[in-house]
Amino acid sequence: MTPRVLVVDDDTALAEMIGIVLRTEGFEPVFCADGTGALAAFRESKPDLVLLDLMLPGIDGIEVCGRIRSESGTPIIMLTAKSDTADVVKGLESGADDYMVKPFNPKELVARIRTRLRPAPEPVVETLAVGDLTIDAAGHEVRRGDERINLTPLEFDLLLTLASKPQQVFTREMLLEQVWGYHYKADTRLVNVHVQRLRAKVEHDPDNPRIVMTVRGVGYRAGATT
Amino acid sequence: MSAADTSKLLAAGPWREVPRRLAALWRRSLQFRTVIITLGLSGLAILVIGLYISFSVASNLFQAQRESVLEASNNATAAAQSILDSSAAADRASLQSLMGDAVSTITSISGSSDYAIFRAPGQAVNTNAPPDQLSRGLGGVITPELRQQVQDNPGGQYWQSVALTNADGGTDPGIVVGSTLNVPAAGRYELYLGYNLAEAEETLAFMQVTGIVGAAALLALLSAITLVVVRGVIEPIRETAATSRRLAAGDLGVRMPERGEDELATLAASFNGMADSLQARIRELAELSVMQQRFVSDVSHELRTPLTTIRLAGDVLYGQREDFPGPTSRTVELLHTQTDRFERLLADLLEISRYDAGSVTLATEPTNLVHLAGDAIESMHELAFEHGSELRLIAPGGHLDADVDPRRIKRIVRNLIGNAIEHGEGRPIVVAVDSNETAIALSVRDYGMGMTEEEAARVFDRFWRADPSRTRTIGGTGLGLAISLEDAVAHGGSLDVWSKPGQGTVFRLTLPRTPDAATVVSPLPLEPDDPAAAGPPPTGATGAIEAELAEREVHDA
Repeated sequence: MTPRVLVVDDDTALAEMIGIVLRTEGFEPVFCADGTGALAAFRESKPDLVLLDLMLPGIDGIEVCGRIRSESGTPIIMLTAKSDTADVVKGLESGADDYMVKPFNPKELVARIRTRLRPAPEPVVETLAVGDLTIDAAGHEVRRGDERINLTPLEFDLLLTLASKPQQVFTREMLLEQVWGYHYKADTRLVNVHVQRLRAKVEHDPDNPRIVMTVRGVGYRAGATT
Repeated sequence: MSAADTSKLLAAGPWREVPRRLAALWRRSLQFRTVIITLGLSGLAILVIGLYISFSVASNLFQAQRESVLEASNNATAAAQSILDSSAAADRASLQSLMGDAVSTITSISGSSDYAIFRAPGQAVNTNAPPDQLSRGLGGVITPELRQQVQDNPGGQYWQSVALTNADGGTDPGIVVGSTLNVPAAGRYELYLGYNLAEAEETLAFMQVTGIVGAAALLALLSAITLVVVRGVIEPIRETAATSRRLAAGDLGVRMPERGEDELATLAASFNGMADSLQARIRELAELSVMQQRFVSDVSHELRTPLTTIRLAGDVLYGQREDFPGPTSRTVELLHTQTDRFERLLADLLEISRYDAGSVTLATEPTNLVHLAGDAIESMHELAFEHGSELRLIAPGGHLDADVDPRRIKRIVRNLIGNAIEHGEGRPIVVAVDSNETAIALSVRDYGMGMTEEEAARVFDRFWRADPSRTRTIGGTGLGLAISLEDAVAHGGSLDVWSKPGQGTVFRLTLPRTPDAATVVSPLPLEPDDPAAAGPPPTGATGAIEAELAEREVHDA
């Protein structure tokens, strides 16, 4: 089955070109040219991944991102012409998994998409425990007691990566490599923003984390099992 | 300067400070100066008027006193003379008693108890004649000249101002009036009557004191009035000064109150007009700057999107270039490399526009400059190898974490190394890192063709090339050094260049270790100690990274 990618971009030439690249690489592209119709297109096409331009006519990309995220954990990669801090961080905070700054090359684009779509590695163990959470690795589920916690695939990956080696401290660079698939130094803000989003979902008190602990000056590690 | 300041200024400090402070006050305070000038001029006027009044009153008073004294004396003399004339006394005792009557008449009519009676000299001795009399008050005050005048003109009346001894032993101003009495059967007598003018002088003194007190009060009043009037004028001026200071300090919204229609209101109105136009102008410039930033951002978006399409298309074609016939394949290659170049140029242009718009913020983190230089060298090793240059790292210091934006510093280092490779003519390139208490520095030295002084002065200019006929082999955009300079300055540091034709070039980056360091001395020399050398002394190390590791071990040990 070919993975379906929804391309939301108002520049038809770019969208078409991305479509050509994606088709060559074995994806099925679906297009939407504005922010207003993006959500409808998303619901209709049920894509496996969304490529979302940040500047869109109608509703802007950040808003679209937030709305998609509120109803689905589908991976979202933002396309942005601005690498300026504020916009990128806003996009990540509204739920985008990753971002690409224009102009990008086709190899980069495809690599980013594949990383987000790769099947989770076959888990070594069926279930893991971190803090008062139970992670069902095979079933892609996180539970606190009987309550199921809804995580996006990226957040699940992040939590699973940390929980699978509870003794180890992960630097941001290690997480960028293992969760995002970056093999060179990338933007560590990706890690910071997503750790915040994950904490907001799994911690009792996000300001006083017990599940995803910060190791000052180094990175993060999983909290002790309780 | 307010009154409080004035008093503080006068009160503070030792007394020898006072003249200097007063001079300073004179220079700095219009109010003080005006009050002092008013005080001085009106004081002078009052002094002149007061002296004139005082003198004329004194002279009038004296004249009136003298007239009345002369009249009283005249009346007394006439009355005494008539008593003497109507008497027929001839013997000694009756003459004595007659003289006593005359004296008592004189004292009662003249109102003066100070009198003297002398028998005029130059007459026949008469044993019956009454003796001379001299009351104590007149002792020693009647001058021979007065007596001479009286003796010479028996019918006349003469006076003289004298100092009379009073009861306290002091002296009072007085007048002595001399006239002549004819005593029947005893001859001519001189009569002198002394009048004490102390009372008149007291009146005069009282008047003078009153005058002085009045003048002082008037001066004080004048000063107060001047102070109030001047303050009325000065206060708005002071207010204007304070308002302009706030305006100059950047508070563009500040305005002066406009009251009434006088000159001060005009001043306030024109000041406010000036502030309005200034504010409008600055707002316009700020809007322009915001527009500029928005424009840069828009250009960024607008150019980048089609560039992305071109990039994707070019890369797709490039991936299939083997399938194309020769010329088309070469065309695709050119498209690919030039798209790359265009992309770099656009990125550099946007970066420098961001600096121009002042919208650059540093993302600092603790960074080890030696490691950073090592990484940069590693990433450029291949390029250096292609050009035949060996990259070496010497790091006697700098093994510390400095708070810098690593992305920007790495960009500077890569830029400098790239330049050195391009102009190094295949000779070794030495990257040095060192630090001292205040700064950390990195220099890149090549032993290439070098530049003249004029050329070196222009290396940081945008799109400038030392030799326009030479193409850029490494594909620099012509903005690299300009951006590097901006990056260095954004860190509060500096980027300097030394170059000599045929001897190579040194670029030195100096960064302060703390952002608020006042004076920074670069730990590395700008001018190399081996300017004429064709290359660095051989180190025996085979590669840059090894050299760096060796250095690191030395310093860690």
